[in-house]
Amino acid sequence: SNAAAASRRDAASKLPRSDNAEVTCVSEEAQEATTGQIEGSGQRSEPGISSGPKPVGSGSTIIVSPRQRGNPILKFVRSVPWEFGDVVPDYVLGQTTCALFLSLRYHNLNPNYIHDRLKQLGHTFTLRVLLVQVDVKDPHHALKELARMCIMADCTLILAWSPEEAGRYLETYKSYEKKPADMLKEQVEKDYLSKVTDCLTTVKSINKTDAITLLSAFSSVEGIVSASKEDLVVCPGLGPQKARRLFDVLHKPFLKAKTKDS
Amino acid sequence: MLVDYRNNQPSDMAGPLLEFETEMFLSLFGSDGLLVTAEGLGIDRILLQFLRVYSEPGSLVLLLNTTTPEQEYFTEQLRVEGVTHLPRTVTSDVQSTERYNVYTEGGVLFVTSRILVVDFLTDRIPAHLITGILVYRAHKIIESCQEAFILRLFRQKNKTGFIKAFTDKATAFSSGFCQVERVMRNLFVKKLYLWPRFQASVNTALDRHKPEVVELHVSLTPAMRAIQSSILDIMTACLKELKRYNPTLEAEDLSLENTLGNSFEKTIRHYLDPLWHQLGAKTKALVQDLKVLRVLLLYLTQYDCVTFLNLLESLHSSQKIFGSNSGWLFLDSSTSMFVNARSRVYRIPESKKKLKVGAEVKRELVLERSPKWEALTEVLEEIERENKSSQHEPGRVLICASDDRTCAQLQQYIKHGSDWLLNRLYHRTIGKRDSAALGALELDLEKKGKGPVRKGTKGKQPAQKKNAKTTKGKSRPSLTLTQMVGKEETGEAAVMGSSGDEDELTDEDGGEEEQLKLDLPSDAYYGVLKEPLTVIHPLKGCTDPHSLTRVLHEVEPSFVVLYDAELSFVRQLEIYKANRPGKQLRVYFLIYGGSTEEQKYLTALSKEKKAFEHLIREKATMVIPEEREGREDTNLDLARNLDPANATTNTRKAGGQEQPTEPSRVIVDMREFRSELPSLLHRRGLDIEPVTLEVGDYILTPDACVERKSVSDLIGSLQSGRLYTQCLSMTRYYKKPVLLIEFDPAKPFSLTARSDFRHEISSNDVSSKLTLLTLHFPRLRILWCPSPHATAELFLELKRGQPEPDAAAAQAVTAESDTVAESADLYNPGPYDFLMKMPGVNTKNYRALIKNADSLADLAKISQDKLGEILGNANNAKLLYEFLHNVVNVPAPIQKTKQT
Repeated sequence: SNAAAASRRDAASKLPRSDNAEVTCVSEEAQEATTGQIEGSGQRSEPGISSGPKPVGSGSTIIVSPRQRGNPILKFVRSVPWEFGDVVPDYVLGQTTCALFLSLRYHNLNPNYIHDRLKQLGHTFTLRVLLVQVDVKDPHHALKELARMCIMADCTLILAWSPEEAGRYLETYKSYEKKPADMLKEQVEKDYLSKVTDCLTTVKSINKTDAITLLSAFSSVEGIVSASKEDLVVCPGLGPQKARRLFDVLHKPFLKAKTKDS
Repeated sequence: MLVDYRNNQPSDMAGPLLEFETEMFLSLFGSDGLLVTAEGLGIDRILLQFLRVYSEPGSLVLLLNTTTPEQEYFTEQLRVEGVTHLPRTVTSDVQSTERYNVYTEGGVLFVTSRILVVDFLTDRIPAHLITGILVYRAHKIIESCQEAFILRLFRQKNKTGFIKAFTDKATAFSSGFCQVERVMRNLFVKKLYLWPRFQASVNTALDRHKPEVVELHVSLTPAMRAIQSSILDIMTACLKELKRYNPTLEAEDLSLENTLGNSFEKTIRHYLDPLWHQLGAKTKALVQDLKVLRVLLLYLTQYDCVTFLNLLESLHSSQKIFGSNSGWLFLDSSTSMFVNARSRVYRIPESKKKLKVGAEVKRELVLERSPKWEALTEVLEEIERENKSSQHEPGRVLICASDDRTCAQLQQYIKHGSDWLLNRLYHRTIGKRDSAALGALELDLEKKGKGPVRKGTKGKQPAQKKNAKTTKGKSRPSLTLTQMVGKEETGEAAVMGSSGDEDELTDEDGGEEEQLKLDLPSDAYYGVLKEPLTVIHPLKGCTDPHSLTRVLHEVEPSFVVLYDAELSFVRQLEIYKANRPGKQLRVYFLIYGGSTEEQKYLTALSKEKKAFEHLIREKATMVIPEEREGREDTNLDLARNLDPANATTNTRKAGGQEQPTEPSRVIVDMREFRSELPSLLHRRGLDIEPVTLEVGDYILTPDACVERKSVSDLIGSLQSGRLYTQCLSMTRYYKKPVLLIEFDPAKPFSLTARSDFRHEISSNDVSSKLTLLTLHFPRLRILWCPSPHATAELFLELKRGQPEPDAAAAQAVTAESDTVAESADLYNPGPYDFLMKMPGVNTKNYRALIKNADSLADLAKISQDKLGEILGNANNAKLLYEFLHNVVNVPAPIQKTKQT
């Protein structure tokens, strides 16, 4: 508890030192993340057991291991609050996400360091980021080694070329913790026909023409959903294989477990 | 009325080879090598001779690196000569099953490189039957990875066939260390044949039948001269600044002389690209300024005074609007440039300037004529006189100018005269824009009732039309009818210039006048049909690179007027003349004496000469290994180093495990053969299996699937949503999904440039999207590779000690396969993806839906109220319900006829 107190003091002493703008400027994304958290169940992390102490990383701050004290990248973690805490990884960025930081210059001097750290980290977090700052002139050999290591140890390698960029990644990981993947997905036109087409074309080999054919033949999505396999086959351009695929998707249970039952 | 100039049968454009050309052909025919000729010295004719020889079923010859118009040109030439076994083109349109038959039918084949690589790898092409490979544009072999890969595969499988390579870009070898040696190594050739223009036998052959050359040194007007020196002053200043900011730039390459040349942009990019992100805004602005200044220089001599002023004024106003200038507009030289440029177009009378202060300024048009136009008129008059006095039929005239904008202007000039053209240009550009001034001018002139005004021009137009019609009726010999058959893109010039007003102009004319079909083989010419036949043709910018050659041989001019000088066409004319001894050919050069235009031409000449001298020296000292051609098994380039890494592993393992007898294998998607990586992997000893993959680009092990993205692809596919879908399927069907980010070695190894770094997290940044991607796909591994070479090395590392992938299994992975256990998917992907796309459904509420409905069919049975209960949100429920139950009336689409 002594250490925790020290770290809290540390965090507190950090705050007044940074200028006002930095403290107050919590970006939109960060706020979004907080609201996301209030709503509870995100896609990736099932809500934990409500009783007992809160799991590490469930708060809205990045928890920084005291080993990282003095790391210049902390100066650039500005739009998300952070505090020191006794954790195994260098940074805890969420309940299931953590990061180890490595400067290539340091790595070249102490090649075994990161190996030991990874071993120590184990598999407690689902997403383990190895945040590497490329700060040497010829990084290729070291990067090749690290890439291989990351594949073997199931880590996600992220490269940053400056402390600003590295700090930005930490901020982004924390503030995007609960963000849905919408901005990574294809943007769909707002009109009805495009939406229907978009849904139907998720089925393999169903193309846009097929989607319009289906809608014109059955006049609604419900019509398509409740159509029999025979009804689907006779649609021009569809054929038995496409019809079977579509029918399967529409009638297969969502849950895999239930597929096995049936 | 169609002038019948084609009284002789379709001309054999190639003609018999000249003495030195035969020598060239025989030496290359005798033994493999790289043939480098001077530009325009007829490398096509030599290549054509080879095609002629091998166009028979007994040989199988592949021609690499040609474009479709070139292929058409070669085929057409052979057809004219009566060759029966004509070359065939193999593209992806030819089914893979048919390709073997095409190959075995022999003759010359133009095959898409990607297809050739795949066919070599899968042994679909009978490599042992190939007579040899001809490589066009051989200087590009280093950059063009596919062609180099083809040659390597060919040499591995065929030790007897020939490799003969052609290029006429000697200057391409002067950059880089041992460039020619590296090219030859990639080509697997030992011999280098150099044919500069100054070669003795070339010289004697061409001197024997020299065309008559008349050089007309036109002098710039005082105003033009002043503008030119202003621009040069500013450029010198910019260069000085550039060097001051970047002391590492090599001084020699950045001389003013080089700045004028065409390759300047390339040179500067070559130096600055790798450190582009570190450069200050100042340097970038300077580079941009130099670009603009070069365009100004070009416009000064290439086009008329109005077009030039228009460009200058538009630069001025855009700089005012965007505030993006580095200061040259405020230099003294720049002020004098503006004054001079304006004075070529109009002047403001002294008296009025004093009289009306603050009132609209009245302009008197000056409209300086381009000196070259007048020289052109003189030349055409001289030709006419000559034609009249000679007893032979009048000689035809070919006028060549650099681009089609110039050609269009010349056509207008010859037809209507310079006053008409300049007036029209003025009123459509500067006059129009300056509407206040124009209004005043019009009013003023209306009162006076004279002078060239817009109204006046308008009045003139119909008159002109009438004129044309009447003269046509009389069909006098001096009849001038103009027409324009095709219009090429004006390209950069139009973008930067006066918004393509001439286009409008010529289009109108085309409509006004009778269409006359000149049956010329090019669609880019501007015919000025008179007696004698006069044709204007651009030197550059045609879609068909042979269009000028065709026109030259069809028109058979006795007089060629080079409005702009271009090295390779001048040489072509020399060959053309040497091929037709005894026939008259007079070439008029119009060149501005002491101008940058002249300087540019001379620089190009001396550059090529220097390049050849460099090549000659290099050839003298070159040490070529005996095994270069790779006909025995001793060429190390052909040896695919079978994993030296393996050896080290084995010693480490100390168990002395047996090396796997089966070579290591990578499964590669067909579409990936456009990149360099497959070739590099093959070189490192990995076997490549080309198949069509639905998921991933490379399969390294049964578990590891790699999606390769260049940085620009990464940005694009993160934006479009494609990468998300790709990652989704990779994680579903592979235990180790990998995203490979491959950087361009010529560009900085960094994802975001320092200058682009934002102050706050922005969802538009690549790094933000990449972060979110890894959050959603925690199993996705990321590889960062600075070059394809590094990737190949890394792949080898990753395969070490791992089981081999199976092509059939990889190919069978589709959206209907079973997902891997690691994906920890509770849901069936098909129904799940469909559900998630529905309106009102999101990542927060879909679980509730799945709890209440087993399948999509079930979901459609739920009432809107119930949906509201399940989703806990009436709005979402409404969205979903309406999506499912809305009845729409959509017309059935027209079914495409199926092709099987």
